[in-house]
Amino acid sequence: MPQPVVEIDQVSKTYYTGDVATPVLFDLSFSVVPGEFVAIVGGSGSGKTTLLNLMGLLDRPTSGVIRVEGREVSHLDEVGRAHMRRDRLGFIFQFHYLLPEFTVLENALMPCRMRGREFEVSQETRMRDLLTYVGLGEKLAVRPNQLSGGQQQRVAVVRSLANDPAVVFADEPTGNLDSKSGRMVFDLMKRLSRESGTAFIMVTHDDNFALEADRVIRIRDGRIGDMPNLASQGAEMGTGPTLAAEDAPTEGEMNR
Amino acid sequence: MTYFIRTVAFRHLRYSVGQSLLTIGVVGISVLLIIYLRTIIGGTQERITQNTTGAIPHITVEPPERTPVGAWQLARLGLETDVLYVGEVVNLPKARESIEDWRLWLPSLDAADPRVTTVSPIVSGQAFMNRGSRRQSVRIVGIVPERHNGVVEIEANLLAGRFIGLSSGELAVGRKLATDFGLKLRDKVRLVGPEGLALNFTVAGIYNTGFGQVDDGQVFVTLRDGQSLLELGGAISSFGIKLSDLYAAEDVARKVSPGLPFKVRSWVMDNPNLFRTLDSQGQTRDLILIMTTIASGFGIGSILVMVVTSKYREIGILKAMGATPREIQGIFVLEGLFLAVLGCCAGVPLGVLLLKALAAIRSVGPDGRVDAPFLIEIDPMLLLGASVVAIVTGAIASFFPARRAGQVDPIQVIRGS
Repeated sequence: MPQPVVEIDQVSKTYYTGDVATPVLFDLSFSVVPGEFVAIVGGSGSGKTTLLNLMGLLDRPTSGVIRVEGREVSHLDEVGRAHMRRDRLGFIFQFHYLLPEFTVLENALMPCRMRGREFEVSQETRMRDLLTYVGLGEKLAVRPNQLSGGQQQRVAVVRSLANDPAVVFADEPTGNLDSKSGRMVFDLMKRLSRESGTAFIMVTHDDNFALEADRVIRIRDGRIGDMPNLASQGAEMGTGPTLAAEDAPTEGEMNR
Repeated sequence: MTYFIRTVAFRHLRYSVGQSLLTIGVVGISVLLIIYLRTIIGGTQERITQNTTGAIPHITVEPPERTPVGAWQLARLGLETDVLYVGEVVNLPKARESIEDWRLWLPSLDAADPRVTTVSPIVSGQAFMNRGSRRQSVRIVGIVPERHNGVVEIEANLLAGRFIGLSSGELAVGRKLATDFGLKLRDKVRLVGPEGLALNFTVAGIYNTGFGQVDDGQVFVTLRDGQSLLELGGAISSFGIKLSDLYAAEDVARKVSPGLPFKVRSWVMDNPNLFRTLDSQGQTRDLILIMTTIASGFGIGSILVMVVTSKYREIGILKAMGATPREIQGIFVLEGLFLAVLGCCAGVPLGVLLLKALAAIRSVGPDGRVDAPFLIEIDPMLLLGASVVAIVTGAIASFFPARRAGQVDPIQVIRGS
């Protein structure tokens, strides 16, 4: 078995408001391997976003250990976690939050820009290709406000891959899109995950998308609930169909 | 400053160009105001000081005043003949104070301090000037013209005739007095001293210095003629000392005073009200400058607060993607600093242009002299100082919104809350 990209071990999280303690997550343990597409589902307030924030190093666990590519990161300070996110993690959020001052290409390259000019230049061709691949080849030089919601979220998906991360965390990436655009973004994430071998961990409300994941983790009241693996039987991890040219979305689809 | 900080900061500024120009304008105006106010008010103060001191010595050396002493002090003093006693009635010549041995003191005063430029022996007193039926009280000032021209510049302000080279029987008179008496060069007038001695004088020079006390009721004669008219014998009334630096007057006065048996007064002691006025004027100016600086700081600060608030979510996503708090803070401090620097780049040349335009203005005063109403000297240190003040203010003002931006918690913003 390959080394997990993310591993959590006995992780708990309790929020404190004054003297009042609100436990959110209880002793969670699981790991995600490279290229795996994991869906985290659960009701509102179940703690799934908190779990994503802990694994994404946006927050620190109250107890337990988190490892990214085998390295323990739960003890890192704010700057250390920021550097870890910058170098090894990717993020997609419900709202794209593209920077309005920058072009589509610049936005996609923003995580590279944080690592310096040379790194940005070295990744530019790859990001151009990726943006073209997701149907935005004509839009590289325009600003985000000239794109539709679905197009903006596709830029955000490409941006999450800019630093060639070990794992991408997606928090309701389709939650703000209509069903067709949402479907397109989801398909794109799945394809890119297979293509690049990058693990995706996605929080979603939509059981349809969850059913298409390699693995589903259901969070119920801060614990991992009983959940059979709903991933389609044929799509074994890493063995799914690779994206062929004829599978690429058509121009009409992409402009939605 | 990393590539990331630099490019994000400058792109923000370029993208919201209207906001940026507004801030640059606020900083520019404050820099302009600092330069303008300091130069104009500084120039006005310099002008007032020059007007006050231009016609008078910076330091006056006079015989000590003889103060009446009480009877209880007599035993200690002994019976000195020159002491005035309470209730004693004396004849005028005895009471008049003068410096008899001035020729002995002159060289030592000349060499008293390197800042001393001129020492002028002076006799002065009241007299009457008569011409035809006109009779007016005037102040007689007996001087050595070559020396006294260093105290008040007469030679360069002559309307006619001469001042340096004035000889016995000649006088130099101001424009107003000459007009009142209808005097032209080589006209004769009669001066009558306080003891009734009358002498005839020829008008040798008519001047217009612009200083009322010199131009209006005063005539210059030679030292010798002055001594005769005022019946001082060989004595003088005082020494007038001019310095290269008028603000050193107190210092030089304190330095020379101990070695002299005379009373030494500086112009500063004689004009306490002037100093109070200049002081309060300076305080008003400083208050305006502080307010202006604060306003400029608020300008930068408020714009950045707006920018940070409107970019809350972008900041959150940048932090989620791995920007450190220090980098986010750096972006906004850099924006504030850059706006302040651009504000200086706008304000300094505008300030200089404004001052140059004001310096070129000429107007004719009531005395007929053509003069610049503003005394303007553009000080490069002031330009630098105003810029430094604006930039430091910008940095301080941007620090707080920048720190707030650095503390944005990505978890709080990425869910759209």
